[in-house]
Amino acid sequence: MRIPVDSGRSGVLENLLQQRTDLWRGKVPVSPRLPVIASGFGPLDTALAAGGWPRGALVEILPDGAGSGDVELLLPALAVLAREFRWIVLVAPPWIPYAPAFAAGGVDPARLLLLTPPTEPERLWALEQALRSGVCGAVLAWPRRPTGARLRRLQLAAEAGGGIGFLFHSGAGTERFSPAALRLRVRRSDERLAVDILKQRQGRGGSVVVESRGQESEVRI
Amino acid sequence: MHWLAIHLPALSLEALAPTDARAPLAVSDRVAGHPAILLCNEAAAAAGIVPGMRIGAARALSGSLRVRRRDAGREAHLLEGLALWAGRFSSQIVLAPPRGLLLEMQGSKRLFGGTLPLLRQVREGLNEMGHHAILCMAPTPAGALLLAEAGRQKMIRDLPGLHRHLASLSLQQLPLPREQQEALQNMGMMCLGDLLQLPGPGLGRRLGRAFLDQLDRLLGRRPDPRPLFRPPARFHRHLELPAEVESVAALQFAAHRLILQLSGFLTARQAGTLQLEWRLVHPRGEVTRFRLGLLSPERCPERLQTLLQERLERLVLPAPVREIGLTVERLEPLAGRPGVLFDARAGSEPEAGEQLLERLRARLGEQAVTGIRLVPDHRPERAWCHCTPGRQAGMDVVWQLRGERPLWLLPEPVPLEEQEGRPWWHGRLVLEGERERIEAGWWDGAPVARDYFAARTPAGGRLWLYRELRGERRWYLQGFY
Repeated sequence: MRIPVDSGRSGVLENLLQQRTDLWRGKVPVSPRLPVIASGFGPLDTALAAGGWPRGALVEILPDGAGSGDVELLLPALAVLAREFRWIVLVAPPWIPYAPAFAAGGVDPARLLLLTPPTEPERLWALEQALRSGVCGAVLAWPRRPTGARLRRLQLAAEAGGGIGFLFHSGAGTERFSPAALRLRVRRSDERLAVDILKQRQGRGGSVVVESRGQESEVRI
Repeated sequence: MHWLAIHLPALSLEALAPTDARAPLAVSDRVAGHPAILLCNEAAAAAGIVPGMRIGAARALSGSLRVRRRDAGREAHLLEGLALWAGRFSSQIVLAPPRGLLLEMQGSKRLFGGTLPLLRQVREGLNEMGHHAILCMAPTPAGALLLAEAGRQKMIRDLPGLHRHLASLSLQQLPLPREQQEALQNMGMMCLGDLLQLPGPGLGRRLGRAFLDQLDRLLGRRPDPRPLFRPPARFHRHLELPAEVESVAALQFAAHRLILQLSGFLTARQAGTLQLEWRLVHPRGEVTRFRLGLLSPERCPERLQTLLQERLERLVLPAPVREIGLTVERLEPLAGRPGVLFDARAGSEPEAGEQLLERLRARLGEQAVTGIRLVPDHRPERAWCHCTPGRQAGMDVVWQLRGERPLWLLPEPVPLEEQEGRPWWHGRLVLEGERERIEAGWWDGAPVARDYFAARTPAGGRLWLYRELRGERRWYLQGFY
């Protein structure tokens, strides 16, 4: 389908497309507007419209149960961000982030900041603050039921701060609008990780399978 | 030298922290042996009350008038607080009790981009704190003070200008004993200008050497050294609130004054602080205390205020607050910021990271904001620990692991069911990879002897399990990949 070009209206439309990162033209080749960080998995980077994890954006991840490899999928990117001396913030993770494994994956534990606010509103507040601060490369959070309005706020915070907000949630009610740039499902498929791209800004959905990296046998930190 | 005199004509009234500005209020003091009205607020003045009036007469004019006795102790406390606050504007401050302060401005005007911006900031600060003040700048401290007390708001840059302004002052405005005032009046003199035209030696004979000296200091013909205000070793101040308050906004507003004083105090001491101790006093004398910690020495009032706000917003007050106190015991040099977490290499200001961390700690509590680090211990649950974020040892630990570790550790290992000799967790688990045997800790009373495995659930999740080597040889789930 072609977008009808009408001089008056298209000016407004162009403006909106320029200003808002959550609006884009369907089926139009991606403009490499957003800086990205390589996921570290070739096939995934190819499948992602932006060519990697989009910085300054939200990524929704729907894990397929415990041990599904959802954070393992992020590890190479987190390692790069940590080497940039940015913070990797974990907001109320369901279990203890295990320092030896992060170190083995190349993420210096000294770059990890663990936030454990007792209430959901405080967790969302902390998530937003971290995204907005500009010093965090990635903020990983496990929000209970993020509403559309809340996600929009978080999206703006991520845009302001330039970090990536990875939101892990069960996926209940995910049919409605979300300002997230990406929505993925991660599950294990034999020795590998299967990533279903459920939605992506400026691109198509699809599925891709990447090698689970395992970890090097010797760790130097 | 440029001296700024701050004259606070209503200090006696301001020190009493009135509850309602619309209610007529007056301060009384003994004048010539009788209690009389010293000062009154606008509401009382509107009823016709004037300073110097007997209290009985004032009460007759306004039935609702409240008369409170002058409290010299509170006034001195308030003036000292202002001297602390003024530390951010000048390194040379002189108390001029009962109602004045002197700030030497020559040294600080460059720091503030000139005299006018500096004066504007002083003025704004005083307004913000609710003080009525008359500011006068002059080359001599006595001259600046005298003109300010006479209500002249002037900015006088040189001695001829000062002499001109002083000449127009009436002699009654000079701080002279009554006999001297009368002597001058008998000589037919009305203003200081008349006096200055007389030859010095004659004047000295009539009014005494001390008077001449005083005049010379006023005019800048003789140096006028004054003892400088010395800030105390530690900051310990309190502020009574005009009314009991409960709202965060009202507390913030009141605390702002203490923060400004602290900032001035720290500037004067050329230091910062890492810890602020707040006291909120409730009507029945109970006290809520809390501490605000900083990552690097700080004295910027805006930053301290933001931190306080975060803390106040999550504070549950048992009762309204009638007094706020702030203590800072330890001062820290400002140079050299510790902390490795934020680095200039991150492409943003290191302060931005510290500010984030401080805000998080103030709002969420310090226990909810942690880092994690490696501990060289073979026992998996002891191979890490919480630590203060930003205080990690860095990259100097070299640590070898043989097996693959899960990204997530359970707080406690969970015992697993067994079915047909196989561990079971949401279905039968399939063991993967090689066994890793860990036997350690026999030396400190918490020994482990376990065989570790990776395992897969029927749904595809990868788990980290172990089987005890001794005792019941049970299976436990300890982590998720």
